[in-house]
Amino acid sequence: MSPLVHGAAYGVVIVSALLTVIAFGIWFERKFAGRMQSRLGPTIVGPVGLFQPLADVVKLLQKEDIVPKDADRHLFDIAPILAALCSLGAAAVVPFSSSMVAADLDIGVLYVLGIGGLMVIPTFCAGWASNNKFALLGAMRAIAQSVSYGVPLVLSVLVPVILAGSMSVSGIVAWQSTHHWVAVWPIIPGLPAFFLFFLAMLAESNRIPFDIPEAESELVAGVTTEYTGAKFVLFYMAEYVHTLVGSALGAALFFGGWDGPFAPGLHWMVAKTLAIFVVVYWVRWSLLRLRADQLMDLCWKRLTPIGVALVLLAAAWVQYGPEGAR
Amino acid sequence: MGYVTDAARALATTLRNALRPPTTVEFPAVIRPRAERYRASFALPDDEHGEVACIACLACERICPSQVIKMKSGGKRESPVSGKKRAYVDEFVLDLSACIQCELCIQVCNSDAITMTREPEAPSFSREDLVLNLVRLRANAHDKTAAWGRGTVLQEMQEPPKAEKPPVRAPTEAPKPIQAKEPPADAIAEPKQPPAPPPQPATATATVPETETP
Amino acid sequence: MHVQSAGRGRVDPHASVRSYDPEADMMLLHFGPQHPSTHGVFRMDLYLDGEIVVKATPYLGYLHRAVEKLCEKLTYTQSTPIVDKNDYVSPMCNEQALNMAFEKLLGIEVPRRARWIRTIFAELQRIASHLLWLGTFGLDLGGALGGGSTLFLHCFRERELILDLFEDVTGARFHYNTHTIGGNRHDLPAGWNAKVKAALATIESRLPEYEAMSLANSIFVARTKGVGRLDGELALELGITGPILRASGVDHDLRRDAPYHAYDEMEVRVAVARGGDCLARAEVRFAELRESIRLTRSAIDGVPEGPICGFKPIRQPTQVKATSGQVYAALESPRGELGTFLIAGGDTPTSPYRLKIRPPSLHALSAIPYILPGYTVSDAVAILGSLDPIMGEVDR
Repeated sequence: MSPLVHGAAYGVVIVSALLTVIAFGIWFERKFAGRMQSRLGPTIVGPVGLFQPLADVVKLLQKEDIVPKDADRHLFDIAPILAALCSLGAAAVVPFSSSMVAADLDIGVLYVLGIGGLMVIPTFCAGWASNNKFALLGAMRAIAQSVSYGVPLVLSVLVPVILAGSMSVSGIVAWQSTHHWVAVWPIIPGLPAFFLFFLAMLAESNRIPFDIPEAESELVAGVTTEYTGAKFVLFYMAEYVHTLVGSALGAALFFGGWDGPFAPGLHWMVAKTLAIFVVVYWVRWSLLRLRADQLMDLCWKRLTPIGVALVLLAAAWVQYGPEGAR
Repeated sequence: MGYVTDAARALATTLRNALRPPTTVEFPAVIRPRAERYRASFALPDDEHGEVACIACLACERICPSQVIKMKSGGKRESPVSGKKRAYVDEFVLDLSACIQCELCIQVCNSDAITMTREPEAPSFSREDLVLNLVRLRANAHDKTAAWGRGTVLQEMQEPPKAEKPPVRAPTEAPKPIQAKEPPADAIAEPKQPPAPPPQPATATATVPETETP
Repeated sequence: MHVQSAGRGRVDPHASVRSYDPEADMMLLHFGPQHPSTHGVFRMDLYLDGEIVVKATPYLGYLHRAVEKLCEKLTYTQSTPIVDKNDYVSPMCNEQALNMAFEKLLGIEVPRRARWIRTIFAELQRIASHLLWLGTFGLDLGGALGGGSTLFLHCFRERELILDLFEDVTGARFHYNTHTIGGNRHDLPAGWNAKVKAALATIESRLPEYEAMSLANSIFVARTKGVGRLDGELALELGITGPILRASGVDHDLRRDAPYHAYDEMEVRVAVARGGDCLARAEVRFAELRESIRLTRSAIDGVPEGPICGFKPIRQPTQVKATSGQVYAALESPRGELGTFLIAGGDTPTSPYRLKIRPPSLHALSAIPYILPGYTVSDAVAILGSLDPIMGEVDR
């Protein structure tokens, strides 16, 4: 079938699947966070509180859509839509199994980095268009953070690209299924590269400890301060989807995606994605937030040089390593 | 690297807490037992004859810093149960929504006529539901558990032992005659008027409605 | 950071913003009164140059409830539950400060047992207040949806143990009204000692967990080290007392230097730090938490027998009369020196002419125009958290 129809069909399936997993993810996060904080989490809506995310979404959807008086109406409206699109769009190249991928691009990695980088635009639109100083501060910090952390993100992703010799995500996963997982062997560029990717992914999705753009204790709700109702739902979803897709990419690029010691397939991909997703939330509910300048410091003075070193090590491995030049 | 090890330690701490049983319970399905001395709502208990023990001496009304207690008394009447003349409280209003739960009204009551209860009032949708009147307060004495703190208990606990105080007047003691000098409850109010709702022991008034309906 | 930082000479809080830098593009940000982390209804106007605060002006009074005026109209016996609500995080201290003033005015001697019980209440209240401070500081630094809230709920879990102890004695978890003129109203129930020791053991066992998530955590240290430096001289000039003063290097603690209650029978080890920044204040409060646990543990079994009140029990509002006299009585609350200044002889002998409360948080907040400039907005939040203001006592 034509790539467009193939892509569209997969798109519908993947988006629905992602949103369902998000619903489950919200429930799991709230229960897990509750247990970490010595309390119960949601218990009333549905058995063990399983329908709580549904209740949350319904509640948010029925809220009044308030637009501040001097807000830039068009930018204000388009920002959440763009945010949702960018986060969902990155899921197009993630291979869920050897045959399930919406768009098997040769430049999959570049595409993902590009779409993820585009997330800066709706954040800035939201911050500027809200006509709110807190949102503006959040937007400024968000731009600095997103643009800066793009560099370690690219550098860390280059390690599997160099080792596998391909920029196609499904190609990298396929290479890992025949060789070793990147984070396992060669362990030295591999595991630190995953670690770097994890930190950069946290920063790109504005997760604690890098969530100054929406630092609640300082900036009320940062970029999303003035958003209510359906638009807030879109931002909320976009943030979760971004995290989930980032986890899926981490699983695909560093841990072999759908590959497994026995019976490779979708279930391995799901398991690894969820494992990384859980770790993201575990980190979120345990650590305090870094200040903006400390964040930049970390990025440029520590992560970027480490990233460059890792890329050089990966290249050296490929050239001089035991497996020889591919 | 310090960041990494400290982050790992913080993660270990939260994981350890996640594996402990949670501290919270699902209220109101599970209600935790409160301390023995817990004080929440109010009650006007009965005396040993089954009538309301409060004699409207106004001590609690005067001490309340938030002035949430208002009471009225129609003067002394003969009790239908014991036959003795005693003061009654006829209207008692306690605005629980303004009460600051300071226990001073309990502290000053020499006859334990007002107590607190260990169960709070149920939340309600209107402010009027939080205004406790005499009926509700007397009902609370039966429906709810009395709290530990009562006027006599507290005063005895606080009494310095070197001062030899006479015992608190027991309900069976006859009232002293000099009390007639200071009218207890009429002072607040209106001139004496025959109280209509409480039961009238005299037969004279019983004929009044009969004559009114020809 | 750089601009007008307190390290480079004293900031002039009354200087006009325009004199700062005519070329700079400054933004006025109203921080509060409705904000997730202003510790109550508190407003700060921050002039920002980018992210750096150039000038900060605090605005108080949003929680003014005319407590002092109310006490002029009420009698001495009725004032305790009203001032209970000033520093609503440590109500025991409010009650004690007020009743200490009354006792000093009337010359009433508090029996020894009552003084010991008051000491134990004060120390337990200090533990509870510092736990709450630690939790809210975590909220300021980590956000309500994140690591800060985990620390917050853990601290509250342990604070509940102390509130349960107070409930065992007084019947109320908060706003106890357990102190009266001349002593206490509620005596300790049987078996309370064991409960106190069990609660203290639990709290002490959880302290390493708090440290792992705060003091010993490099993110916390990075956020608080060097931030909001307040030097000891400025603190003394502004009338700041308590942990903030001790964190700026001045060794002053009323429990040791002007003992009240039963502190003259105990050895109070005072924690002093030199840095004057948020980290030093955090360390001082943490050390005070440990010290209070030690003091309570050593005092709980030594409470002497005897009466708990040196004056008649309250039976009427008019039973305490004073026609003249002026006193000032102060104690060391978890925030600093909480004092009551009392002039007797109001309209009636049963009410004071003037009851003035010296709230330590007011003086702490007066440091804001001096120590905020030069730091970023994130630091402003951290500094406000480390000053631990309670707006109830600031505004009364």
